[in-house]
Amino acid sequence: MAAPEHLPPRIGSALDELRATLSRAAELARQIEGKAEPALDLKSRLADVESDREELSAKLAEYEHQVGRLMNLYVATYQLHATLDPGEVQATIAEIAINLLGAERFVLLFRKGGKNESGECEIAFAEGLDESPAAFYRNGIYQGGDPALDATLADGVLRIGPLEGSEAMAVVPLTVQGTPVGALVILKLFDHKAMLRPEDRDLLDLIAAHAASALFAARVYSQADRKLKTLESLVALVRRQ
Amino acid sequence: MKATKVLVVDDSKLLHRMFEMMLRGFPLVHAFDGREALDRLAEHKDVELILLDINMPRMNGLEFLTAVKAHPEFARIPVVIITTEGTEDDTERGMQAGAAAYVKKPFRNEELLSVISRLTASPAA
Repeated sequence: MAAPEHLPPRIGSALDELRATLSRAAELARQIEGKAEPALDLKSRLADVESDREELSAKLAEYEHQVGRLMNLYVATYQLHATLDPGEVQATIAEIAINLLGAERFVLLFRKGGKNESGECEIAFAEGLDESPAAFYRNGIYQGGDPALDATLADGVLRIGPLEGSEAMAVVPLTVQGTPVGALVILKLFDHKAMLRPEDRDLLDLIAAHAASALFAARVYSQADRKLKTLESLVALVRRQ
Repeated sequence: MKATKVLVVDDSKLLHRMFEMMLRGFPLVHAFDGREALDRLAEHKDVELILLDINMPRMNGLEFLTAVKAHPEFARIPVVIITTEGTEDDTERGMQAGAAAYVKKPFRNEELLSVISRLTASPAA
């Protein structure tokens, strides 16, 4: 190819123009590359922010769930110890079973004579027991024979089903100073609650730890109060004479 | 902004305590059966939401709901049924009687708070 100085003037100026255009194009390409880097950086930062947002929203949901779980535990404990009336304590245990655990059929058992006796268990409260297929519970007494319940009454250990040979979904020991004095037996949950959830375990543990002592305290108070009133009537009678 | 006044109708003391904890910031009015709830409504005409159980003594939840929806002054109040009666028939009966929402017990707190937020158009505490 001939050198530019040897080219006709028209072609030479066209080449100069082409060179200038190419140089401008190269400059523009450099500028665009320079701008693309911050855009890529921004995209990467946006991805990070979105990932953080998702993580935070998962944490918030978990936090709200934990708050709900703790609220249930607090309210259950508060209500169990809010009264010294044995009937109200029993009603609270039933309310926890129904409203917080979703138990449709359950039975609350207490040993006759309290913690110093190892005899048969009386039915303190029951819900839906008429529909129970097993004949373990009759005439207000637990007749014995459910292996999981017998075991819990002996060792005070919480058992969650399925339990071999037992119709219970969960057997919750009721203990006073480490001695089993009864049990809450959950026989069936509502149809819309398929199974016990992990957080239900906390409630079952709470019942095991608090229900018996609350009921025991209420019964002792009730007996003491009855005796006191009897004595006061006797004293009043003697004074009148 | 004025907080939404909520009437809680349930025969369980445990749940009344639970709602007190959950709905801090909402003025609550308490009733333990349908008949008492009607009396409370007559006293508190500014109630803007009702949380209603179904199984209650004296007057059950569906009877109460029917009475509320037939009342010219109270019919506008949204009612959330919160109950252990969880079959589809139960839900349909409640919704046909005029409930705005149906929540099955036991419920997760966030589930109920979301329903309340939707009905009151304000974030539940």
